[in-house]
Amino acid sequence: MDSLNIPGTGRTPTVAFDFATGHLRMSGESYPDDVATFFGPVFTALRAYLAESVLIPIQFDMELLYFNSSSAKVLMNIFQMLESVARVGRPVSVIWCYEDSDESMRELGEDFSEDLHHVAFSLRNVPVGSIG
Amino acid sequence: MNFNLFAAEEQAIEKARKLGEALAVAAPDCAADFEELVEAFQRSTREQRRLVRVSDRLQAQLGAANQELERRRQEAETALAHLREAQEAIIQAEKLASLGALVAGVAHEINTPVGIAVSCASHLADATRELRRLSDDGTISRGDFARYLATAGDTATLILTNCQRAAQLITGFKQVAVDRASAERRRFNLSKTLQETLASLQPKLRPSGHTVTVLCPADVELDSFPGVLSQILANLVMNALTHAFPDGRAGRLTLAVELSDVNMVRLSFADDGVGMSEDNRLRVFEPFFTTRRGHGGTGLGLHIVHNLVVGALKGSITVDSAIGTGTRFVLLFPRQTPERD
Ligand SMILES: Nc1ncnc2c1ncn2[C@@H]1O[C@H](COP(=O)(O)OP(=O)(O)OP(=O)(O)O)[C@@H](O)[C@H]1O
Ligand SMILES: [Mg+2]
Repeated sequence: MDSLNIPGTGRTPTVAFDFATGHLRMSGESYPDDVATFFGPVFTALRAYLAESVLIPIQFDMELLYFNSSSAKVLMNIFQMLESVARVGRPVSVIWCYEDSDESMRELGEDFSEDLHHVAFSLRNVPVGSIG
Repeated sequence: MNFNLFAAEEQAIEKARKLGEALAVAAPDCAADFEELVEAFQRSTREQRRLVRVSDRLQAQLGAANQELERRRQEAETALAHLREAQEAIIQAEKLASLGALVAGVAHEINTPVGIAVSCASHLADATRELRRLSDDGTISRGDFARYLATAGDTATLILTNCQRAAQLITGFKQVAVDRASAERRRFNLSKTLQETLASLQPKLRPSGHTVTVLCPADVELDSFPGVLSQILANLVMNALTHAFPDGRAGRLTLAVELSDVNMVRLSFADDGVGMSEDNRLRVFEPFFTTRRGHGGTGLGLHIVHNLVVGALKGSITVDSAIGTGTRFVLLFPRQTPERD
């Protein structure tokens, strides 16, 4: 399956889903004018990918620095989809990046991992300004 | 006090769980589906909690950004206020400097008539001493006496006219100096103020050899700031001397006044010097724009002139120039300066 690459803009994140290697990444800022228009194609591609029977491990890097409530719900939905495939045996890890001094972002990460039982969730702090 | 934002949801979940237990006994087929529903509701509640946190975080970020914005705005405003103060200080300094130049001009200008008067007086003293000697010796002739009378008459006239000239210069300078220093508003004769200002610039003008032509109706009375006008003219003249004739050629300077209507004065000052490029012409009123950086130019002269014309005289100033054809500044301002806003 072809990889999905959407370059970031001021309001929408960079999406780099390399399906061949299982490396999925979202970075930058996310507050699109219309969530459905932006994330619709992302979900379609992800759903199709997760439906395939190949079992290559997945690593999802969550590198958003700033996201609105709709994007937060999008993340929860994605995490739920990943949890479903992890439950039936596919190795999945999620890495939640937060900038050094951003304590509240770290706490959000902990919150967001609450419903992940089969996904290996980890937090990673990065120097300010190194992602985005 | 124990406050729980999601107390109602938790109660509902608790109730549903009890209902689930009852249902497991009463209708076992439904129990699994019901369990799933409760699960979904529970997850939805957890998601709600997260969304509230995300939203709170966004609000906090927005608040911080607004505070930062306000802080920067205040910083910018403070910087602007400082800049205005600095500009005010520069204008004051410029005023003092131009006053200093004026005093030097006065000294130099008065030197000539006073010098003539002194040498006439000493000539007269010599002639008088000589006549006394002849008179004491008893050898005085009719011719000696007639010669002495002629000398005394000539020197007295010269002394008188030169002292009058000096007195006249002093009066003029005094007026220019007072006007410059006080920036006072009063009624004045435009032609007279322009002449007095030019006279104070003579020590600079004369050695340059330029011809200065003044075309100004004698009877134009203004109710405005003569000191400001004088400072403006001095700046324009000094610029023409400094910039317009770099080759040292003797040029032509023309100061012309006409009333564009009864209430508006149109004052133009032109030189037939080297002129300037269009790029420079567009920038001459900018603060610190100078083509003589490092040669004593601060680039504030015309900026101050512009501020004086617009701020004090409530008028406007434009400049026409082209390489090789010279430069003309045109000021348009009301005869009677309107009261401040
Ligand atoms: N009569 C003129 N002819 C040609 N160029 C002129 C004339 N008047 C002004 N300029 C140009 O405009 C520039 C700005 O003039 P301004 O009076 O503001 O500054 P300055 O004379 O260079 O420095 P300062 O007046 O502070 O000593 C001058 O450097 C010069 O290039
Ligand atoms: Mg100047």
